[in-house]
Amino acid sequence: MSNSDFKGASVAAIAATVTSAIAEAADAKTVDKLIAGIKDKDEQVRTDAWLGAGQVGAPAVKPLAKVMTDNDLEVARAAKRGLWKLVRHSGRPEAGAERKAVEAELVGLLGDGQPVSVRREVLWMLSEVGSGRSVDAIAALLSNNQLREDARMTLQRIPNKKALAALNQALDTAPDDFKLNIAQSLRQRGVKVKGLACVKLVPTKKTSVEPVK
Amino acid sequence: MKQSKQISRREFLATAAAGTAAIGVPYLIPARVLAGPAKTGASERLTMAHIGVGGMGGFHLRDMKRFQDNGTVNIAAVCDIDEKRLAGAVKTAGAGVDAYRDYRYILERKDIDAVVIATPDHWHAVQMVHAAECGKHVYVEKPACCTIEEGKAMVAAAKKYKVSVQVGSQGRSQPEAYLAHRYLVNGNIGRIQKVACFHYNSPIDDNPVPDGDPPPELDWDMWLGPLRWRPYNKRYCHGTFRWIMESGGGQIRDRGAHVMSCAMWWMGADGTAPVTVEATGTPPTKGLWDSAVTLDVTYTFRNPDWVLTWNQHTGNAVPAEERTGQEPGGKISRPDYGAVYYGDNGKFVHWGGDGGTWVEKKAREWKPPAGAKDVYESPGHKEDWFNGIKTGAKTIMNIEAAVGVANLCNLGNLSYILGRKLQWDQAGQEIVGDMQARRMMARPQRHPYHL
Repeated sequence: MSNSDFKGASVAAIAATVTSAIAEAADAKTVDKLIAGIKDKDEQVRTDAWLGAGQVGAPAVKPLAKVMTDNDLEVARAAKRGLWKLVRHSGRPEAGAERKAVEAELVGLLGDGQPVSVRREVLWMLSEVGSGRSVDAIAALLSNNQLREDARMTLQRIPNKKALAALNQALDTAPDDFKLNIAQSLRQRGVKVKGLACVKLVPTKKTSVEPVK
Repeated sequence: MKQSKQISRREFLATAAAGTAAIGVPYLIPARVLAGPAKTGASERLTMAHIGVGGMGGFHLRDMKRFQDNGTVNIAAVCDIDEKRLAGAVKTAGAGVDAYRDYRYILERKDIDAVVIATPDHWHAVQMVHAAECGKHVYVEKPACCTIEEGKAMVAAAKKYKVSVQVGSQGRSQPEAYLAHRYLVNGNIGRIQKVACFHYNSPIDDNPVPDGDPPPELDWDMWLGPLRWRPYNKRYCHGTFRWIMESGGGQIRDRGAHVMSCAMWWMGADGTAPVTVEATGTPPTKGLWDSAVTLDVTYTFRNPDWVLTWNQHTGNAVPAEERTGQEPGGKISRPDYGAVYYGDNGKFVHWGGDGGTWVEKKAREWKPPAGAKDVYESPGHKEDWFNGIKTGAKTIMNIEAAVGVANLCNLGNLSYILGRKLQWDQAGQEIVGDMQARRMMARPQRHPYHL
């Protein structure tokens, strides 16, 4: 590398760093504005804010998730709707990179540090936009009693081999009281599951109401 | 059902069960209820059960008593997941009618020939398919299904198990619907290029409350059924399920399944579908309900080319015509929804489209000239279903047609949710070019309440 090449590369690197910093600052400002709107006392302002969440994209995922457990019912609801709007905007056909960025942020919300209600919602978001990159984190929740049914359904919906392999593996490792659920997903995915007879037509719930005599 | 010298359907099921039990997915059900071809003799009284007996289900139960009185049916069982509603229903149904919380007890009863399903929308497909698998004929409320894949399963089950299915878009069976159909197919307004449906807004949840414990009479797990689990909130039910996207889908799925049913029937468009669907709307600003408050959907059909629109805005109704009450459909009691048909040579308006279907005077008073085309005139929606059961004739709102209409509603909502135009491939029965939308053609269902 010549001296001038080095200088050129340095200038480019500095420019890229500056551009990235400006973008991050802009992102932060935009996210702050979005969250302020979501928390506004006026329901129309909140609605306008969450409707615009899609344009903000991945940087808003975690801040919105945080507000989803706000004590104010309507603020929490606006945050949830905003996150859904963002996920659905990111899933549009021409937005592959945007979707990947959103997916990565969503996966980051599946950990034990997040409330169950948020993780459940995030699982269903991943059922719409998740790829092979999400599968390990989702499959890990098949052993979580509160989230395993949502995790199973999420894997069922992700149309790739890795999700299918995770379900297949879970059939071997799942506790007996969850094997039928896994079998259901595998059958929906076209897998022939031996044994584990389907119980969908077996009645279980009795009434106390008596016929009129 | 009276005993017949021919082998009865129940006897057939009992003897055929051993031969069919080993086929396909293993089910844990009594062998006697495995489905065979459903058949009921023309002179036999049908044994009927009602699944879901509140709201519209309560209407069906009361209405069915009319057919019990005239010897068409025997009502044998009622079912609901709300014990208070169930207790009310057994009183309505009368002595000796059995009560169930779990509809699957009804499906395993070999004496029951047919079921009326009037549960929230998210149960329709699962219960209809299960009933068909157990050899029961089905009347299921509209809209037929909540997703594209549910609709496919319903069509496949009805075909495989040879059961008669009528879907509750009863507008097709109204006397003035026949008059409108006949008027339009005879070219009175020329070639129709556009059908514009009008309807008022979906409501906003004006009394939102936090999640809480379900009341003791309600089995929340069974109310949810196939839906993913969530805490109970009293704004979900009863009746208000209509305004939740997952379970009801708003006015477009409620009344759209009526008004657009008439459009597809009168346009001769059953079995066809739009190539594109594009929706825009406004969401509620608060509360649990999330269905679009206002909604505009454009469906573009090709070969033949025409456009169907759904316009949901309070105040957009075409003023209703004056009536004396002596018309076939009587006075117009619900003038706030309907459709305008635009043809080369004029336009035509109807109001309602459900249990009340009212059409313009010019269609009612039109006298068909010699050689005019005639169309099928339904004897009544339930009568048409009974005829389907007894003769094998296709019902007026058969499952294929009903799924086609439900798909219109569902695709409209899907386009609204996603905020983009969708492309539909009718031959492949699928959305094309949009991976996320394709995934949303199905919705995984909670165990064991699944197709």
